[in-house]
Amino acid sequence: MKWFRLLASLKLTLVGMILLVIGASFSYDNRLDVTMWVLVVPLAVLALNLTAAIFTNARINRQPGLLMFHIGLLSIIVLVAIGRLSFIDAHLEIAEGQGFTPDLLLETKQGPLHAGRLDKVRFVQGNYTVDYAEGMHRGLTNSQVLIPDERGQFTTKIIGDDRVLVLEGYRFYTTFNKGFSVVLTWMPDQGMPVTGRINLPSYPLYDYKQDNSWTPPGASPVKFWLQVSTGMREDAAWVLDARNSRGVLVVSHQGQRVELQVSESTRLEGGQLRYDHLSSWMGYKMYYDPTLRWLFFVAIFAVIGMAWHYWQVKGARLFPAEAQHSPSVDKTQEKIVER
Amino acid sequence: MNAEGFATELPWMWSGLAAYALATLVAISGVVVQNSGAASTRGGRFERLVLTLLIAGVALLAAAIAQRWVRIGHGPWISLFELLMSQLWSLGVIYAVAYWRMPRFRASAVVVLPVFWVLGSWLLTLEPKASHFPATYYNEWKWVHVFLGKVYLALLLIGVGLAGVMILRRFPRALRWFRSMPADDVVDRVAWRVMMLALVFDSLMLIAGAVWAQDAWGRYWSWDALETSAFVTWLALGVGIHVRLTYRVPPWISGAIIIGIFVLAFTTYLGMPYVSPAAHKGMV
Ligand code: HEM
Repeated sequence: MKWFRLLASLKLTLVGMILLVIGASFSYDNRLDVTMWVLVVPLAVLALNLTAAIFTNARINRQPGLLMFHIGLLSIIVLVAIGRLSFIDAHLEIAEGQGFTPDLLLETKQGPLHAGRLDKVRFVQGNYTVDYAEGMHRGLTNSQVLIPDERGQFTTKIIGDDRVLVLEGYRFYTTFNKGFSVVLTWMPDQGMPVTGRINLPSYPLYDYKQDNSWTPPGASPVKFWLQVSTGMREDAAWVLDARNSRGVLVVSHQGQRVELQVSESTRLEGGQLRYDHLSSWMGYKMYYDPTLRWLFFVAIFAVIGMAWHYWQVKGARLFPAEAQHSPSVDKTQEKIVER
Repeated sequence: MNAEGFATELPWMWSGLAAYALATLVAISGVVVQNSGAASTRGGRFERLVLTLLIAGVALLAAAIAQRWVRIGHGPWISLFELLMSQLWSLGVIYAVAYWRMPRFRASAVVVLPVFWVLGSWLLTLEPKASHFPATYYNEWKWVHVFLGKVYLALLLIGVGLAGVMILRRFPRALRWFRSMPADDVVDRVAWRVMMLALVFDSLMLIAGAVWAQDAWGRYWSWDALETSAFVTWLALGVGIHVRLTYRVPPWISGAIIIGIFVLAFTTYLGMPYVSPAAHKGMV
């Protein structure tokens, strides 16, 4: 068992900790060219070292508070590992009136063992408002979402910023990324009319280029530009709200340029295009990590252990007025060290 | 200097800083006089004056913070000016309690109080202009996170006082100043005891911060400048504690480790906002 004692060496703990400091420094800013091994290796060393120490070192396993703390640390390492294997992190843009479906997800990052019930997540995006303070400082976002129950009844919820929508363990956060969309109906010369929507770039970030394009079936591309008036201003507070915004849609096609008001239409190659109304989309961040709650409890457990150890071993005075008088301390320490 | 805040918080703030400055001068004279052979009762009188001045400084800074709070409509959470002022206040509160409750260690104030000068001088160079309150700061975890952070930094500062004494005692002249304090082995033990308590509060602060970050930005940890630096500091505390468990460390090195940790903590708290413009990168 000599190797096990070596594995439990407190010198190895220091080596592991210093490697972890280095790994943490490299992890700054989540740079893509830095491998996760800079964290995994030191954490694995520390985890093995700590496990060995818990079994062999009386200094740690005879002091319950200290034991609690270190077991807590070990559990945090394990939970973080589970979290990294099973998490999912993605973005999505969802328009007013649109229902959530997993195929909306963009920039998805996920652990290899992710196994959530994303297909069970259902909500429909409603309207939203965003408060802006003087100087264009973004304030509170209030985003309305409609959540169906088993009977198909909808409950309305207002979320935004740190008020998170949690469905099946998936957490949805509003972001600064949001904007307008235009709802259009395409009435082809032959066939049924179809209604769809075109999302324009993030607003007010790209208020100067609210444009996009679309190609009708069998025709050449159509360019859109939205002249939107929202009441946006720098010198005073205002509220971004699609219901109070007006948009004139500029349609360019084959060198022609037409300005459409809501419910007006224009003739294009192969059909008629109608501008139904102005709508909006909200960008969400979606995050799932089944370990979050456990991490919290385990971390608190660890800290309680450390606080208990502080209280027990070192004498129960918060402010050591006469530090020499702590005989209980020294006796415990000596006994343990002697072993 | 910008006239903003002049009619409200600035005069209170200046008086608060002046009270701290006086407390420092009195503490230094106290230590010198007390240890030049004069009766110890005179030292006691100096100490009472230091405590009174500290309390006055705390009260004046509290008034300054309150005035500003009323003026701009939110607490001192955002700009460096606000963070420093609030930190000077809370460090003052906790240090005053420690000074009162740990009479045998009072001489270490000559190390601690100059740190207030550094922060105070820095504060004087900053503009008191109103700051914008971000949406994610409505979260109530902010209070928990900030409270814990304040206790943590104050405990580190108490540790720095003791560390400074262990280092200064290497110089024969300074040895006399700290005659009233216990021997180095005791100072060392108490200092690391305070550091362990600091680790408790640091850990809690990180937990509260992670919960807040999860709510606010959808991730509990993301290695932004502040988080990376805070983790390194937390680990440095663990390293410091473990070095002493593994090796026999002479008091002055032990003191140097404590000061190193304190520097890391303050860089995290007050330096990182320069690296990433908002307190956290994900904030705006
Ligand atoms: C991962 C490997 C680790 C091992 C094998 C380990 C082992 C030990 C052992 C054996 C003790 C007994 C101290 C005594 O003699 O009373 C101890 C104490 C302690 N450890 Fe660790 N530890 C590890 C990591 C950490 C970390 C990461 C931290 C904090 C950041 C930490 C904080 C502490 C504290 C606060 C004490 C109490 C010291 C005291 O009573 O003065 N440990 N550790």
